[in-house]
Amino acid sequence: MPKAKRKGQKGNFHQTLTPLLFLSPNALIFVVFIIIPAVQGLRMSVMDWSILGTPKYIGLRNFERLLRDRVFGITVRNTVVYSLFMVLLITVFSLLLALLLYRNTLRGERLFRSAFYLPSLLSMITVGIAWRFIMGDEMGIINYVLRAWGAGEVGWLSDPKFAMGSVIFVSVWAQAGYYMVIMISGLQAIPQELYEAATIDGCGRKQSFWHITLPMLKSTVLVVIVLATISSFKAYELINVMTGGGPGYSTKFIVQQVYQVAFTEDRMGYASAMSVVLMAIIGVFTLLQFKLTGKEQDYE
Amino acid sequence: MKKKILCLMMTMIMLLSLGQAMAQGNDVTLTVLWFNDANESEVFKETVADYLEANPGVKLDVQVVAFDAYEKQLKLMLAGGNAPDLARMTTALMPVFSDALEPLEGHADIAEVEKAFAPSMLAFARNGEGKIVAYPTEATANGMLVNKTAFEKAGIDVVELSKTWTWDEWEEAARKVIAASDTVKYGLAVDFTPHRFSTIIYQFGGRMLTEDLSAVNFSNEGTVNAIKWFKRMHDEGLIPPSVWLSSEKPAELFQAGIIAGHIGGSWNINTYVGITDFEWTAVQCPKGEIRSSVPGGKFIAGFKDAKNKDEAMKLAGWFSDAEHNAKYCLGTNNLSSRVDVSIEYPANTEAFGVFSEELKVTPTYTAEEWNTAIVGKIGNAVKENVVQVLLGSMTAEEAAAEIDRQAAELMQ
Repeated sequence: MPKAKRKGQKGNFHQTLTPLLFLSPNALIFVVFIIIPAVQGLRMSVMDWSILGTPKYIGLRNFERLLRDRVFGITVRNTVVYSLFMVLLITVFSLLLALLLYRNTLRGERLFRSAFYLPSLLSMITVGIAWRFIMGDEMGIINYVLRAWGAGEVGWLSDPKFAMGSVIFVSVWAQAGYYMVIMISGLQAIPQELYEAATIDGCGRKQSFWHITLPMLKSTVLVVIVLATISSFKAYELINVMTGGGPGYSTKFIVQQVYQVAFTEDRMGYASAMSVVLMAIIGVFTLLQFKLTGKEQDYE
Repeated sequence: MKKKILCLMMTMIMLLSLGQAMAQGNDVTLTVLWFNDANESEVFKETVADYLEANPGVKLDVQVVAFDAYEKQLKLMLAGGNAPDLARMTTALMPVFSDALEPLEGHADIAEVEKAFAPSMLAFARNGEGKIVAYPTEATANGMLVNKTAFEKAGIDVVELSKTWTWDEWEEAARKVIAASDTVKYGLAVDFTPHRFSTIIYQFGGRMLTEDLSAVNFSNEGTVNAIKWFKRMHDEGLIPPSVWLSSEKPAELFQAGIIAGHIGGSWNINTYVGITDFEWTAVQCPKGEIRSSVPGGKFIAGFKDAKNKDEAMKLAGWFSDAEHNAKYCLGTNNLSSRVDVSIEYPANTEAFGVFSEELKVTPTYTAEEWNTAIVGKIGNAVKENVVQVLLGSMTAEEAAAEIDRQAAELMQ
C-alpha cells in the first residue's frame, strides 16, 4: 500500500509540474510586488524610521500610540462609515442597472451600458477635478444654478454635514458601472429555464426575483461586495482631490492619514503600523462577508 | 553551419555594443527633478540650452512632478538609492533634505558665492554644519495682491490707502468694496498653507517657535489673536470658507473676480499676468502689531549620492551665474536671489517693488523659523487645528495648545 501511494505521488508530481511552471511567472510577480512589500510593511511597523534615517526597533510602541491617537480613531470611523454606505449603495445601484440592462431587449441598451461604464474607466483624479467644478462652493456649477434661481448656496464640499455624502455620491457614480458589468454577467448566466418553469408554476416577477435571481446571483453579489469593500477602504485619489480630507477631519480616511504621517511628518514606522491595522480591518470585513454570504454557497 | 552563423551573429552584436558604448563613453544624462509654479521648467530648459550646446555630451532628463507629490517623490528616490542629479528646492524643503545635498565646496568658489547671493537666501541654503548646499535661484515673499478695479469702484485708492493701512482699515475698505460690487463677494483669501497663514501670525505679533527655535510654541498671544481674527473674518463673510474648508484655490477665485484681495506670494505675479477683466496690483500688507512678510525662495541643488555629481554641479553653477539667473528670473517673473542682478521687467515693475519692500521690513526670525525642520513637519497639524477653529469645534487657545502638543509628539 505505501508503495502504491509513492507511485501515485510521483505521477501527480509530474502532472502538477506543468501547471506550476505556467503559474510561476504570476506567482513570482505576486511574491515580489505583494508578499515582500507586505512583510516589509510588517517589519517597518515595529520600527521608528524616518525615510532618510536608519530604522530602530521599538517593539509594539507604534501600535500602543495608535490606540491613543484621536485623529487615527476619527479616520477609522470615517473609513468604516464611507465603506458601509459605499458598498451598500454600489451593490444596490449596480444590481438595479444590471437588471435594467442585461436582457439585450431594450433599444439603446448597449449605449446605456457604455454610458454607465464610462466613468469607471476615468482616472479618479479626473473624476474628482470634474466634480469639484460641479460641487465647488464659489466656482461650482450647482451653486451657480442655485444662485441664479435665487436659492442659497450649499457647501457641498465645505460643510461637514454634506461633505461625506458628496464623496459617497461621486464614488458610487464613478464605480457603479464597473460593478454593473459584473452583475450583468452574473444575471446572464442564470438559466432561462428556471424563469420559464417558475412562470408555469404561477410565479410573478417579484417572486422570481427573490426566489430565483437573488439566490442564483449570490456568488456574484459576494464578489461585488468584497471588491467594493477593498476598493472603498483604499479610496484615496478621489477624496484627496475633492475635499483633501476636509472640512476638518470630515472626510479624512485611514489611507490619507497614512500618506500624511509617512511623507509629511516623516514617520514611516508609525504609518506602517496604521497600514497594518488597515490590512487587518479589510481582512476582518472580507472574512465576515464570506462568512455571512458564503453559507450554502458552492461558488461555481 | 548553424553554430557558425550563431557565433558570427554573437560576435557582431558584441562588436556593435562595444562600439556604441565607446561612442557614448563621454555622454551623461542628468536627471533633474522639478516642479512648476507656472512655466519654470520650460524657462529652466531654455536658460541652460547654451550649456548643453557647449557640452554636447550632456543631456537633460527633466522630470516635472506636481508640487503636492514632490516631497514624497524626492524622499522615495533618495530612500531607493536613486537620487536625481539635480532638484529644484524650496525654503521649506531645504531643512528636510539638507543632509542629503552635495556641498558646493569643491565645486565652486565659496567666497564668490557668498558675495553674489543675498545673505538671507544663503541662510536657507546652508546645512546643519553651515556649509552651502544649494544655489539660490529666485527669492520670494508673501504678500497681498488686490483687485484694483474693485477698490476704485468703491471709491478707494487702494495703492494710496495701503501705504499706511492697518487690518482694521483694510476691514472697513473690504466691506465697502463688497457693497459696491456685483461680483466681489469677499474681501480676502489666504492660501490654504501654513506658510501663507504664518504671514498673518507674524503681523499679529505671533511666533510659531520659541525664541531659541528649540520647540513649537503656538500658545502665545500674537498667534492666538491671529487665529481668532481669521475665525472672525470667516464668520463675518469677509473670507470665503471654501478655501480653508474645501481647498478651493484663491488664485482661481481672484482671477474670477470673486475676492478683492489674495494673500499669496510674489510668484502669483506670474500667475496673474494674463488677467484682462480687471486691473490688479500688489500692495503692502496691512499692519497688525508689526508689518511682515515671510521670506522664501527656490534653489537648485545636487545630491551626495547622485551618479553624475560633478557634471550636475557644473550645470547648477552655470545656471546660477549672474547672466543665466537674470534670464531665468525674467522669464519666470521672479525676484532674483543674487545681489548683483538687476532685472528690467516688461510689466508689473511696481508689484515686484512692493514685494521687495515687504521683505525689507520683515523680521529675521521669520526666516529662522522657516529654516527649521520641525516647521515643515507641523504643516498638517496647523491646517487641521485652525480648520477646527473655523468649524467652531475648538477655540483658538485650544487649537494652539493642540498644535504644540502634536509638535512635541513629532519631535520625540
